[in-house]
Amino acid sequence: MTRGAILFAFNSEKFNYYNMAEQTAKRINHFLDLPVTLVTDQKSFKETSYSWDNVIKVVPDKDNFRDWGQWINKGRYQAFELTPYDETILLDVDYMVNSNKLLKTFETYNDFCCHNKTTFLMHPNAPQEALSSYSYDTLWATVVTFKKTKRSQQIFESLEMVQKNFEHYANIHSFISVSYRNDYALTLALRIANGHTILPGDFIPWNLVHVGKDTTVIKNNQDELNTEYTVLFDNWKRGKIRKEYMTIKDMDFHLINKDCIEGVFGE
Amino acid sequence: MDTKTLLAESKARFNHNAAKDYLAEKYQNKLVVAEQNGLWKADAETISLLNSLTKSKVVLIDTFSNPVKVDRKELLKTLRTVYNEVMEEWYEEWQELEGKR
Repeated sequence: MTRGAILFAFNSEKFNYYNMAEQTAKRINHFLDLPVTLVTDQKSFKETSYSWDNVIKVVPDKDNFRDWGQWINKGRYQAFELTPYDETILLDVDYMVNSNKLLKTFETYNDFCCHNKTTFLMHPNAPQEALSSYSYDTLWATVVTFKKTKRSQQIFESLEMVQKNFEHYANIHSFISVSYRNDYALTLALRIANGHTILPGDFIPWNLVHVGKDTTVIKNNQDELNTEYTVLFDNWKRGKIRKEYMTIKDMDFHLINKDCIEGVFGE
Repeated sequence: MDTKTLLAESKARFNHNAAKDYLAEKYQNKLVVAEQNGLWKADAETISLLNSLTKSKVVLIDTFSNPVKVDRKELLKTLRTVYNEVMEEWYEEWQELEGKR
């Protein structure tokens, strides 16, 4: 039974996702001891001293935009076909691996799992995100662990269907479809594949830790595999900002706030 | 600019409560154990229950709400070990945190 991780990285005008993927891959190699396959395009790929387990070049669908510019995040459903491993961790490249915690997903799942609950650093009481007031709580495509089973295949095929009909599902579930989001597509795809039910075993039994708005993360030293960070938070009170901070170590987190990328990846 | 200078110049204050929450989040997660076809939390409640039962094979409800028949002593041994290790780590980092008051 082979195990590995797969990353998708397509550079945009604003962010060098390839560089982020390379740093994340080194962390996966070190903390999880897993090989890493990269899915990228010809334009983003560059030869460096880092040795990928596999590099798969595809032609990405670039038709997606966010407030900060082009966001090439479509095609994640291809992970099932492209992964060379029997068991795979599909990770966003802005997920900071600082521990071996993700290895536990291989022990706790049946054949597919993702996060269904989140915590925001410095925002302990932040509500869970929902597709809309009338729909489901969001599942997160940031970390997905899956086996090559028939059911996983159905989930990824559903993901493809939702991506290709995103506007239709946005109308049904009352969310804005201007930007395609894998999180929303996964939320719907998993329910579709499960016959519109929830299977508790499909969820990772701990929270996905986000770095959200008004929060900045800075690495405490320049080591490539640094695991200690200072978290700075702008706490707005009565129209004034009070700066607060704490330090964290050996804890995985996901950078929702893209302004943090420089402080963490040095981009 | 290094982190210490940045913190000093921005007059940032250490948020003790947020740090406490972060520790809880980090170490509660480490208490999760997959064993004997079930998913368990090595917490005081589960360990106490296992301790108070007497049969060698017992049925417990795991964190996925499934009933699972387990070897009581084996599971108790694992959960105790995990509990002790995680609590020691938690305490150590908590002590470091207390020093930052």
